[in-house]
Amino acid sequence: MFIQLLINGLCSASFLAIAAMGFSLVYTTTNYFHFAYGAIYTSSAYLIYWFFLILRLPFILSLLLTFLIASAISLLIEQIVYKPLETRYNSSVAILISSFGVYLFIINFIAMLAGNDVKILSPGIEKTFQFGSVIVTRTQLTGVFAFLIVLISFLIFLKTKFGLLLKGYSINPNLIIALGYNPRFVRYFVFIISSILAAIASVISAFDVGFDPNIGSSVVLLSAVALIIGGVKIYESSIVGAFIIGVLRSVIIWQFSAQWVDTFVFLLLILFLLFKPSGILGKQLRVEEVR
Amino acid sequence: MNYLFHILVMIGIYSIFIQSLNIVMGYTGLVSLSQAAFYGIGAYATALLMINFHINFFVAVPISIVVTVLLSFIVSIPSLRLKGDYFILATLGFQIIIFSILYNWIGLTRGPYGIPGIPSPQIFGFTFDDPAKFLILSTIIALLVNYILYLITSIKFGLILKSIREDEIAISTFGKNTTKFKIISFSIGVGIAAIAGSLYATYVTYIDPTSFTLNESILLVTILSIGGGGNIIGPIVGTLILILLPEFLRFLEIPDSIAANIRIMLYALVLILILIYRPQGLAGEYEPE
Repeated sequence: MFIQLLINGLCSASFLAIAAMGFSLVYTTTNYFHFAYGAIYTSSAYLIYWFFLILRLPFILSLLLTFLIASAISLLIEQIVYKPLETRYNSSVAILISSFGVYLFIINFIAMLAGNDVKILSPGIEKTFQFGSVIVTRTQLTGVFAFLIVLISFLIFLKTKFGLLLKGYSINPNLIIALGYNPRFVRYFVFIISSILAAIASVISAFDVGFDPNIGSSVVLLSAVALIIGGVKIYESSIVGAFIIGVLRSVIIWQFSAQWVDTFVFLLLILFLLFKPSGILGKQLRVEEVR
Repeated sequence: MNYLFHILVMIGIYSIFIQSLNIVMGYTGLVSLSQAAFYGIGAYATALLMINFHINFFVAVPISIVVTVLLSFIVSIPSLRLKGDYFILATLGFQIIIFSILYNWIGLTRGPYGIPGIPSPQIFGFTFDDPAKFLILSTIIALLVNYILYLITSIKFGLILKSIREDEIAISTFGKNTTKFKIISFSIGVGIAAIAGSLYATYVTYIDPTSFTLNESILLVTILSIGGGGNIIGPIVGTLILILLPEFLRFLEIPDSIAANIRIMLYALVLILILIYRPQGLAGEYEPE
């Protein structure tokens, strides 16, 4: 029983890890608490639903269109909202607040068009595979496979020159400008990649458990928790955090019940803030490093 | 006529609720995402005290303020020692934990079924049991809270809070323990939220967890940013917009099914425009850095 729950927990952890990588990419690089990321996530689920199930386009085409539109929304947010605020304010508090505004706007727009009810992407009963006593669905397998691909490309990317450029930007944006790189370009890149990651995670979980307008907020919150637990200012940390949340989830469901998952996950966040604010992978930062 | 009284009561309750965020965010510069949780704790504490122990409203409220403030230390003490976004995250986490407890601890809160039949406040045999009578109570308490807030922010204490908001390092060089002042400011805000929650619970006489969600906390930050924080007038302007905009939309005859969505979309749009063009809000003083 526990093994099955653990496998389910690890599968949902790998979907969360994909989303968390995207969130961490934006947060670590630009220091924006990009809450509107949740809205991108939700939009992606509705976009794939619309293209694939309503318009009946081929799956790959629907997926590409979803990526395209999700990136476009993300760039639009960066260009119309974040960019003017970045030039106007010193800290990221205004950006955080504006990000809530963007989130509320998009979510309510979606709810207005599509309603508040839960929608399901996969029709009927899913194909399952049995390994010993453990059963996994096709969506879960696909999701884990997608996670591995994303993970490997993410880790390789961080080692490339461009990955180093992002790390540099996260530590000192002015230095990047002084070295002759265009900071806008770095930011565009970060926002595009993050929205594609959100879309991947969103599509997988839409096939797995369905979606409603509010799924985005819980994903962005869990991503933030994963980031803190893993350790801020490190790109890879949110993956570790996501898996800790996944395991914790299975233990809670096994010992108590599914409804208490949120309580314990956020309790873990508070405990980390209390005893180890730098996170698992984190190192102690000097005061001036904390932006 | 009762409808007008109802609107005025809601303005009173919400003006208290928004002031609870104002002292934290407007004066001290700390963005809190858990005000709805404290509002909820206040509402539930007062309701449960009045129903289970038959305690008078005016005794139950102080008790629920104390309970709420004690619970708030779980967030404020660990997170206010840290710099950066940790406070925001801790309040966010706390908001989710409290909602999930209100929703799932069926034994105490009846979870999603909510608590019906909360008695109306009563004093010297007089019961505030319809909107007209309740208006007297809510107005007096709202004026009192606003006045007390005005007083404590006019003295040196208020100046210290504002200076923490503007430049924390500068004020700490004067030997002020900024963490202590931040915790005090947060506790005051939390106490005020509990008052607003108690009024809300006894006014509508039925509460359930859906009134105390993260979205409610986010909406409160939105409304305070629109009205403006850091003085007494800004939040009042925010309250008026919050309560009167739906009434205005009713005039435009927008169908009910989408009116709620349109309302939030308008708030969101105004918020973004305000942040870009008028950082201090419509009538406020606090500009996010």
